[in-house]
Amino acid sequence: MANVTERNNVHVRGAGDRAMVFAHGFGCDQNMWRFVAPAFERDFRTVLFDHVGAGGSDLSAYDWAKYSTLSGYADDVVEIGAELGLKDCVFVGHSVSSMIGVLAARQAPGMFGKLVLIGPSARYIDDEGYVGGFSAEQIDELLALLESNHMGWSTQMAPMIMGNPDRPELGQELTNSFCRTDPDIAKAFARVTFTSDNRKDLAEVSVPVLVLQCKEDIIASQEVGAFVARNIPDGRMIVLNATGHCPNLSAPDQVIAAMRAFVS
Amino acid sequence: MSTSGPDFEDMVNNAPCGYVTLHANGRIAHVNLTLLAWSGHAADQIAGKRFTDFLTMPGRIYYETHIAPLLRMQGFFNEFAIDMVTAAGEPLHMIANANERRDADGKLLLIRLALIKATDRRRYEQELLAGRELAIAAERATQEVLLLEHETSELREQFIAVLGHDLRNPLASISAGARLLGRTVQNEKEQQIVAMMQTTVMRMASMIDNVLDFARGRLGGGITLEYDAKGPLEPVLAQVIDELRLASPGRVIEFEFAVDGPVNCDRIRIGQLLSNLLGNAVTHGAADKPITVRAETQNGSFELWVANAGEAIPQAVMDKLFEPFFRGKARASKQGLGLGLYIASQIAKAHGGALTVASTPAETRFSFSMPLA
Repeated sequence: MANVTERNNVHVRGAGDRAMVFAHGFGCDQNMWRFVAPAFERDFRTVLFDHVGAGGSDLSAYDWAKYSTLSGYADDVVEIGAELGLKDCVFVGHSVSSMIGVLAARQAPGMFGKLVLIGPSARYIDDEGYVGGFSAEQIDELLALLESNHMGWSTQMAPMIMGNPDRPELGQELTNSFCRTDPDIAKAFARVTFTSDNRKDLAEVSVPVLVLQCKEDIIASQEVGAFVARNIPDGRMIVLNATGHCPNLSAPDQVIAAMRAFVS
Repeated sequence: MSTSGPDFEDMVNNAPCGYVTLHANGRIAHVNLTLLAWSGHAADQIAGKRFTDFLTMPGRIYYETHIAPLLRMQGFFNEFAIDMVTAAGEPLHMIANANERRDADGKLLLIRLALIKATDRRRYEQELLAGRELAIAAERATQEVLLLEHETSELREQFIAVLGHDLRNPLASISAGARLLGRTVQNEKEQQIVAMMQTTVMRMASMIDNVLDFARGRLGGGITLEYDAKGPLEPVLAQVIDELRLASPGRVIEFEFAVDGPVNCDRIRIGQLLSNLLGNAVTHGAADKPITVRAETQNGSFELWVANAGEAIPQAVMDKLFEPFFRGKARASKQGLGLGLYIASQIAKAHGGALTVASTPAETRFSFSMPLA
């Protein structure tokens, strides 16, 4: 099997004693951090990677059993951290990677000193006394659609992307690889993402946590973000003046400012 | 050509595609009349709402996790599937292209979406998918059947091998007993009984051989031959004929041998082939007429034929003679398993030769022919 660096397409940039690990969410890859990570390269070593099955990761390393739970992904994060000898670093997780970070921090005490969770959800499906934003039926519908009508999705997941003369900063490499996901693996990743329940894990987070939340996010609502921040012993939340699920793309300046205040 | 005015407005409003403009925050700024007609939503119900509010649940998740990020990164996203929900609650399947408008600083101003109906395309995709899944399921089922067949055939082979062994041993005891008795018999009546026992033993032994061959020949890798180019063939054939003569008292079997040189064959198998043909001739031929056996080499081939007198074989029967378990009309007590001719034909085939039959009211003749080189 390929080594960790190749398996997860790990890229390390920047300078400084401290490291900042960026983990992307469902539907994308490390390009998700394009507008945020460079801002920290002066003070931090930035570590970017793709989850196995996404972007430039080694697809042959995909293990259906291992990646049927979020802890399989957390194992990879810990392995990357061990390979790079990370200590007391900052973990920045978007979407489902927030909970992957929560699990990784527990698995490797001392490796992560602070967590930044962007658009986190401890559980997407509503439960008694808990609002996750989705009913079990709606998630079933999503998974059924992923299973029964995948062609529509697969053409979307590997769109034919041509050069973009208006945006020269987006090189050919980016336009050809961004968000490239194997359709079958995308289905499996959607299942593990949207059926996960990490509410109990929140109380065990022993490091300071910053939750960044958009005003209007239909994937993870403010209520969901508040639940995460409230149930982590040293958790706080900042609501960004942004909409959607990806403030790292739609409002990178706000994300950078909030993170800088938290880590400095 | 006008790019403004009433005609231009009509072009946008009544375009053969749906058109939506979104504010940077994802809320709807403009919708054209075509999309309103398709979706059944009224303009005032839709304006200012989030576009994702009008999508199916999977569509919303897909929009937030894939379309929105890609749009932001590339400035456009082409040919993605998107499903709206109509006012009546029905899904509206569409394919869309989208692009962004930004200001000089790169700040997002608005998002444009052009949507075309794709109901048929979606149905086509679903059929393709269903077809693929069906093919996968069929492949899996075939694999399971193959595995099951393999297991069954192995089990059958074992069963028949064990059965063959278990049948041969008691038969050998009977044969040995009959031979002992034959030495001390007092009168002709007793002699007849002993001869009958030997006949029966021989018939059973050949049936067991045939059953085992059948199992192996059909289920294994065909009949395997042990070729011997040097050993003389005549004694083997003569012995088979002697056995049959002994077992069928009163029947005349004439034997001619005209082989001038070695025949590269499995002699035991050729003996078995002759035994099966002779057994067939004894059972079905006229009891009062001789059976003729001739082995010869001519024109580069080895021929062995067995002829008997009796009724001609009807054409319909002839067609099936060499099939396994085929039994022609004969007295029940004389019937075998119907494997003799099948096995004989398989032995012929394994030698690169053929077994044929010709039948007239005067004579029925089974001929085996194989090339010498």
